[in-house]
Amino acid sequence: MDVRLERLSKSFGTNLVLKSLDLTFPERKFVTLLGPSGCGKTTLLRLIAGLERASDGQIFFGERRVDHLTPGERNIAMVFQSYALYPTMDVAANIGYGLKVRGIPRPERTEKVGVVARVLEIAHLLARKPRALSGGQRQRVALGRAMARKPDIFLMDEPLSNLDAKLRATMRGELKRFHLDLETTSIYVTHDQLEAMTMSDLVAVMDQGIVQQYATPEEVYDRPANLFVAGFIGSPPMNFAEVEVERADGAPVLRLAGRTIPAPAQFDLAAAPRRLVLGIRPQDVRMAAIGEPRAIPGTVWMTELIGSERLIEVEIAPKLRITAEVKSEIRAELNAPAAVAFDAAKLHLFDPGTGRALPRRA
Amino acid sequence: MRFRLSDRQVGILFMLPFLITAATFIVWPVAEAIRLAFYQYNPLRPHDQFWVGLDNFERILDDPLFWESFHQALVWTGWSILFQTVLGVGMAMLLHTALPGIAVFRGLLLFPYIVPTVVIALNWRWIFNSEIGIVNHALLRLGVISENIAWLATPDMAMASAIVLNVWKYTPFVIICVLARLQTIPTELYDAAKVDGAGAMRRFLDITLPMLKEVLVVVIVFRTIWTFNKFEEIYLLTRGGPGTSTFNLAVYAFEEGMANLRLGVAAATGVIMIVLLLVGTIVYVRVSGFGREEKPA
Repeated sequence: MDVRLERLSKSFGTNLVLKSLDLTFPERKFVTLLGPSGCGKTTLLRLIAGLERASDGQIFFGERRVDHLTPGERNIAMVFQSYALYPTMDVAANIGYGLKVRGIPRPERTEKVGVVARVLEIAHLLARKPRALSGGQRQRVALGRAMARKPDIFLMDEPLSNLDAKLRATMRGELKRFHLDLETTSIYVTHDQLEAMTMSDLVAVMDQGIVQQYATPEEVYDRPANLFVAGFIGSPPMNFAEVEVERADGAPVLRLAGRTIPAPAQFDLAAAPRRLVLGIRPQDVRMAAIGEPRAIPGTVWMTELIGSERLIEVEIAPKLRITAEVKSEIRAELNAPAAVAFDAAKLHLFDPGTGRALPRRA
Repeated sequence: MRFRLSDRQVGILFMLPFLITAATFIVWPVAEAIRLAFYQYNPLRPHDQFWVGLDNFERILDDPLFWESFHQALVWTGWSILFQTVLGVGMAMLLHTALPGIAVFRGLLLFPYIVPTVVIALNWRWIFNSEIGIVNHALLRLGVISENIAWLATPDMAMASAIVLNVWKYTPFVIICVLARLQTIPTELYDAAKVDGAGAMRRFLDITLPMLKEVLVVVIVFRTIWTFNKFEEIYLLTRGGPGTSTFNLAVYAFEEGMANLRLGVAAATGVIMIVLLLVGTIVYVRVSGFGREEKPA
């Protein structure tokens, strides 16, 4: 079942948290709401769940309008950041609670709980109380609670943020698997772009109560719609530098730190303003030999080893530094002269006035 | 050479003030009361005390007034605790909500609890006064009653009045304890229950109440002990009257000891009260399963 939001707004007092959102979550897709804290992503999830009331706008599950329904009437399941397991009930009662509330008789309940517990490999824990479980086990009980109910929509609010890094990596795979087995529409809230990129079919990048871009992870990464998305997605963050558009022999060129670089062919610069923001991901920057044509010279400002890669920051003009992510074998002396180069096809250009990416040629 | 104390000695020194106070004002009086329970002792003839074995206890158990007082103590304690617990939980939940201006009430909450009992009892004597009290005045004006009720002069009404006073004064204690616990219950639990489809009543029965269980066990034990032993509220409000209709065991012991000068009998009553409360508390705590913790894996 798809989920459709129409002109959805939410304010707390005078604080407008969501600003007239239009968004569709396609059936059986895994969609992530990604954004920094305070961007409204959790509020949006709570609106879909029915735990908050929208100030304006409509929510549809399939053809059914649901904004007037209580959470219990929407047939959703939700996994909370803290898992919100009922501390006074054992694991079996936790998983079966939704069924019990719906008046399903005990034998049937016990059977369903047993099935779920076997799938999630927590059958041996059924008599335990939540406080006697590890983080990963609690996570599975929370999933089990969702699974037992056969929900139409599966909502997750930062379910991995309480786990340690190693377990988080394992659980990412399990969650994706779980989504596929459940065959529901899943909506997942996180501030962790790695989770968003690895698990989602679609990512809605949110900031300040607005969806900044809604696209596949590849699209969001390769063609960020605006400066916010470009800066938020990717680690280390994208390099930004101011450039000026100039004409040389009729063809447009960019002036960067006193050097001229050819304008990237993928952008249509016909209607572009004179000043632009250029973006390039550290992964797309390479260290060039000094004197190499089209390389931009500078001095090494800082280097950091991050395992198999090394980050080299090169100062190409006062206060203007470009970070390159290169293989760790490549070494650089602090304060030594160096040069960076990049492929024009990997460049991003933004209008500094609107923050939007320049239109790309078809 | 400097005088040096070991950590152990320092620790003992720090505890000494409390230990001395406790020994003087708790251990010694209790021990003395237990000793006295087996003696005949008239405070006007202090050198004239002699061992009587279980005579005091026999005398008490044969005394119809003791049984009447015991029965009334149960009525007094039972109703007081019931109303305090129900009202306390209800009002704590109300105060826990985010209604505007609720903080003022949270502040006012402790007022009945901090005013001295004497002041309260005297005030309530005016409030319950049958001629000029505000209770009769209000009920008459509202048309609930057609003539003044002698609140403190009719046996059942006097007991009810005493219970009302006790509930009024000590409900805040229950509220404070319950409110403190409520504030530690994560709101996500209620969200999860809503998603599971639980209505307000179910959420209360399945989440709130089980989470309040431990604090309620403690509160009920303490309130029962304190209420069962309570003397000054009843005595100041009704002096145990009319007749002996609001005697509880504490008033009974007081009357035996101070009015009838039978301190041995009074002490024996006290010993009986200790035994009753001790047994009652142990049984209650066992039955309620308090403190039974699962060990984490």
